[in-house]
Amino acid sequence: MRNHWTIFCAAVVVLGTVGTTWGAEPESLAFERDVRPILKAHCWQCHGEETELKGGLDTRLARFLKKGGESGAAIVPGRHGGSLLYERVASGEMPPGPKRLSPKDIAVIARWIDSGARTLRPEPQSVPRDGSFTAEEKAHWAFQPIKRSSPPRVVRSLSVRSPIDAFLLAKLESQGLGFGPAADRHTLIRRLTFDLHGLPPTPEAVSQFLADENENAYDRLVERLLASPAYGERWARHWLDVAGYADSDGVNKIDRVRSWAWKYRDYVIRSLNANKPWDEFLVEQIAGDELLRPPYTDLTPAQSQLLIATGFLRMAPDGTEGSVPEPDVARNQVIAEVIKVASTSLLGLSVGCAQCHSHRYDPITHTDYYRMRAVFEPAYDWKNWRGPGGRLVSQWTRETRERAAEVDREVARLKKMHTVELDAAADKVIEERVIQKLPEALREKARVARKTPEDKRTEEQKALIEKHPFLKIKGIWLQEIDGAPKAVIDKKWQPIIDAVAAKRPPRDLLMCLSEIPGKVPKTFLFARGDFKQPRDEVAPGELGILNADGIEIPSNNPDLPTTGRRLAWARHLTTGRHPLVGRVLVNRFWMHHFGTGLVATPSDFGFQGEPPSHPKLLDWLASEFMTSGWDLKHLHRLILTSAAYRQTAKRREDLEAVDPDNRLLGRWSVRRLETEAVRDSLLALSGQLSTRMHGSPSPVSLDSVGQRVIISTNQYDPSGRLLRNVKALGEEMVRRTIYVQVRRSMPLGVLVPFDPPLMRPNCERRTTSTDSTQSLMMLNDPFVVAQVGGLATRVAREAGEDPGARFRHAWQLVYGRPPGAEEVRVGLEFLAVQESAVRKETPNHDSPDTVALGHLCHALVCSSSFLYVD
Amino acid sequence: MSHFHRRHFLAQQAFGLGGLAFASLLNDDGLLAAPPKPVLQQKPFDLEQRQPPRLPQATAMISMFMQGGPSQMDLCDPKPELKKRHLQTFDGEIHFDNTVQKSRKLFAGPWKFRKHGQCGMDFSELLPHHGEIADEICLVRSMQTGISGHETGISAMNTGRQRRGRPVLGSWLVYALGSENRNLPAYMVLRDPDSLPVLGAENWQNTWLPSACAGTVVHAHEPRIANLQPPPSLRGTNQQRILAYLQRLNRRHLEKHPGESELAARMQSYTLAASMQIEAREALDISGESQQTQKLYGIDDPVTRDFGTRCLIARRLVERGVRFVHVLSGDQDWDHHGGIVRSLPNSCRQVDKPASALVLDLKQRGLLDTTIVHWGGEIGRLPVIQNEANIGRDHNGVGFSMWLAGGGIKAGHIHGATDELGHRAVEDIVHHYDYHATLFHLFGLEIDEVTFQRPVGNTTLTDGQPGQVVAGILQNPPADDRS
Repeated sequence: MRNHWTIFCAAVVVLGTVGTTWGAEPESLAFERDVRPILKAHCWQCHGEETELKGGLDTRLARFLKKGGESGAAIVPGRHGGSLLYERVASGEMPPGPKRLSPKDIAVIARWIDSGARTLRPEPQSVPRDGSFTAEEKAHWAFQPIKRSSPPRVVRSLSVRSPIDAFLLAKLESQGLGFGPAADRHTLIRRLTFDLHGLPPTPEAVSQFLADENENAYDRLVERLLASPAYGERWARHWLDVAGYADSDGVNKIDRVRSWAWKYRDYVIRSLNANKPWDEFLVEQIAGDELLRPPYTDLTPAQSQLLIATGFLRMAPDGTEGSVPEPDVARNQVIAEVIKVASTSLLGLSVGCAQCHSHRYDPITHTDYYRMRAVFEPAYDWKNWRGPGGRLVSQWTRETRERAAEVDREVARLKKMHTVELDAAADKVIEERVIQKLPEALREKARVARKTPEDKRTEEQKALIEKHPFLKIKGIWLQEIDGAPKAVIDKKWQPIIDAVAAKRPPRDLLMCLSEIPGKVPKTFLFARGDFKQPRDEVAPGELGILNADGIEIPSNNPDLPTTGRRLAWARHLTTGRHPLVGRVLVNRFWMHHFGTGLVATPSDFGFQGEPPSHPKLLDWLASEFMTSGWDLKHLHRLILTSAAYRQTAKRREDLEAVDPDNRLLGRWSVRRLETEAVRDSLLALSGQLSTRMHGSPSPVSLDSVGQRVIISTNQYDPSGRLLRNVKALGEEMVRRTIYVQVRRSMPLGVLVPFDPPLMRPNCERRTTSTDSTQSLMMLNDPFVVAQVGGLATRVAREAGEDPGARFRHAWQLVYGRPPGAEEVRVGLEFLAVQESAVRKETPNHDSPDTVALGHLCHALVCSSSFLYVD
Repeated sequence: MSHFHRRHFLAQQAFGLGGLAFASLLNDDGLLAAPPKPVLQQKPFDLEQRQPPRLPQATAMISMFMQGGPSQMDLCDPKPELKKRHLQTFDGEIHFDNTVQKSRKLFAGPWKFRKHGQCGMDFSELLPHHGEIADEICLVRSMQTGISGHETGISAMNTGRQRRGRPVLGSWLVYALGSENRNLPAYMVLRDPDSLPVLGAENWQNTWLPSACAGTVVHAHEPRIANLQPPPSLRGTNQQRILAYLQRLNRRHLEKHPGESELAARMQSYTLAASMQIEAREALDISGESQQTQKLYGIDDPVTRDFGTRCLIARRLVERGVRFVHVLSGDQDWDHHGGIVRSLPNSCRQVDKPASALVLDLKQRGLLDTTIVHWGGEIGRLPVIQNEANIGRDHNGVGFSMWLAGGGIKAGHIHGATDELGHRAVEDIVHHYDYHATLFHLFGLEIDEVTFQRPVGNTTLTDGQPGQVVAGILQNPPADDRS
């Protein structure tokens, strides 16, 4: 019973793997391949890696196990019963603490001992301190050079439209399968438009495509879509997920707003629309600052963009601003998060796991982690920390600064004049109301005392003023005695001052990562990841397993004002010879097009990750991408024009039997719209969607019941009382979701049900859920209801009075294709019933037909045909 | 309704046959320690009720979370020694969170204790109504997390680990067991009207578990659930016909995509949404409850009205098959660092009567047998003074009290003890992971076997900590079969 339960739970989530076997059981057990990974994960930390071996036992080599420790030999080859290693783990005595080896692992150890405790090859004399890698580790597929092979020959060569098809078909054919039929044009344009724009196709775009009789009609559609600025808005979102984009710092309750993060978002959108080569794009994001000379003042627009690009490394949560209870913890936390973002996004490895000890599964050593940290340390110097505010750089030029100073001077001058006038008025009022009421003899003394500066007054004058405190009153306090004259003067001056002040150029800052020239902090390995336990100094460098060639990252490049560490690393990543970067990138692009990557774990190319379903295709794509000049649009074209991409979504029995999860891509996979696409599409359908690009984000805040986050700047206290009211935001409310502020603590309400990216600190892959809060939102949410109303009005306006025309138009808008005869019949019946019901309920309603049309539109946008892409 | 049969069939295939096939694959896989394979394509998760492997004693749970840390030695853990040494200096080892206002002077609260019920359970005069439930509950006096911060303590008690970002207890239970009532969310959170506890929405987060496992927040005032009420233009039959037409569209779409189980799940989610509009509203509406019941919960008294209403709603939800109900106090409501003599009685007045009423009401309706009720916070408080100028008590992570009732918990029992001053748990210590293991046991589950697979490996609530079922607090302690 117990056993059954475990398997049941596992099966709920791993079903996808049924029927896929990635390797057969080897003949006999060997230390390197079978036993070492178990010991590495569970034993090495105390029995190997720490300076002092517990019990004198080192478990890193089979030889050491035979030799044993203080309690004698750990294994007796041939006899697991007499082997201490087996006894200790089988009894649960080892490892200490709650974690135990699985029965499977224990059995492997037993069988290995019984079969003679063999190794694949002679073991080295000693284990170098920095971990040497086994042949198995070195041979891991993801660490091998990218190898381009020619597209294989296939039987169904007529199906091949792109080299991609050949690779896919070869594998399908090996299972006796081929591609499915191509989808129709309606399906294809909707698929492509959501894929490239995240929006539904407009009726005009659909007609244009349908009417294009040229044999290249499809390719021309792809070109039109790639050329639209909506492409950058859609594909930037994918990269922002990986970068962990947010408009706030996160970490604590305050969740301070990052007022300038949006410039990085715009940089990504612009780069994608301009099809900036990705090698350049990556170098700018990792080390744009190192391409410039500090100080970063009087920046040209191009220079600003280089700094803004480094926002990539500033996206991690950062709780170091303001008063922080444990600043050192917070600072080191920022660095750890940056390393997570950089390593998962660029290397597809969870390097972060090696922060406290060597990676349990992957050949990433504890030292490797700090080598990577050293790349960032000059910019993130935790002993000379700069908080988020202190890292902002002004985009003002010398002229702007001078203009601001001029305005400041003018404002000061006007304020002075204002004060002088107030003081004169005050003198007059005090004379009449105070001095005239004093005894004659005191009046002149009072006038003199009042005029005398405070620090020059005699004791007598001080006493006089203390006795008659109103004598102290100057212009700015005039209302204390009489508000009227001050109000008149203020009313005259304030608009003049405001008008001048308004000419001050607005603040214009940018968020970036930078170093302080000349400061080169040392990086130390932290024992157990604890910054209070620094050990050896570590130099910047590539992960050891990837560094057979001995690539060096200079600690301090003398030719640059900065250390040049990040620049050297970025250039190393983009040489075209790095085994991971190209593969990781193309795999993610593939995932966005097809739903699942060729490697299903896009940020784990290590031992725990999934091996590629089509290794040769992955390498071919990576090679093609890099040799084409890191040209993403080229890659899009290759993928989108393939036959594989154009297949229908229909499941087929033959395919289902072999590949229910569609890893072989013998069909298209039905996919739900992402949350941004749901919101943007509803706005597009209602005709409300703003096309304004770029700029500061639409602000979010809580609504009056403190329940939903909406686009607004109103603020309420927890009981719903309005604290601050700001006028309606107009266009801000209908911009594309990528332009809506991302407050970590306040996700926009309408985005929450449909699985927005969870940034921890970045989002490597989104999840898709199906639940009732989504349905409640689609049925009742005020935003959805408003867009449905807008859609109905639009349909009525564009299609006229005829119910049939209205129905067809609504259907066409929402689904991107015309309805069939049966669909029209059922739809018109529904419209008629709803209209008569409305008439009956509200006899005086002036347009029951529009209400019914609204109901129709509502059902259409709730339906699967809208929420899913075929 | 044929599509629902189909849906059911698909579900069976997915979780039944496929599961078995996979199970045999695992068994036949030989003994090789292949690393677990990651999720390739996430199947839609489903809240279909699932039978646990063992006969469960509990089927639902209500947790009243008193965030801030109720003061055990002033409420339910009387210490004569503390009284004797009142204002004397404590020279033992002690951990202060607030080092500025710390004092080593012992402090005995001014409140009198009395034994209640046949079992003789002690409560101070601050919890008079708790006397009425003494024979129904099990008071655990030996809680220990070893952590004295709020965030870390909440995370430990609610997610198994002190670090943040892990799924909460309620999500794990819903993940493992699904839900009896498909017309209501399986996990519902009744929040305080003014504020959320420390960690806010993290108190009911599913994180990596499927999103259907997240708590659904019920607000303390209308509208209690987002989007539960159709806009005026759609009320009544209008929306019903829209839904009928919608399902027709969806069915046709599904027919064109045979085998797409997610599309079937989508149809089902509309059905649940439609029933929730009726059932959730009905479940949250207490106007039909008798005067007597409302009075029992203190709904007639402004002091207890809010908490009483939420406790009553909690009962109504459990009655309707909701798996886990979280009744949350407000932000730091029990964090009495200063002015404890005045502020602690205030906190007690709001919850004493409603919390006791919940137990009594569940019992009289026969629901207590299968419903675990929990009352407690994330930490306790120190026996010494914080801030001599305005006396309060600092955090204590090494000893605190909570109580449990129902669902197989031993009634009228006191478990464990703190030292002579109420500072440190010394007898029968219960760690947070023991508490979790015990809850799972009562639900018919083994805590280490409810796993969710992630790319980093299998995850569990206790995350490898040695959680032990606390036999001493069980009505039917298990025979010793944990070899």
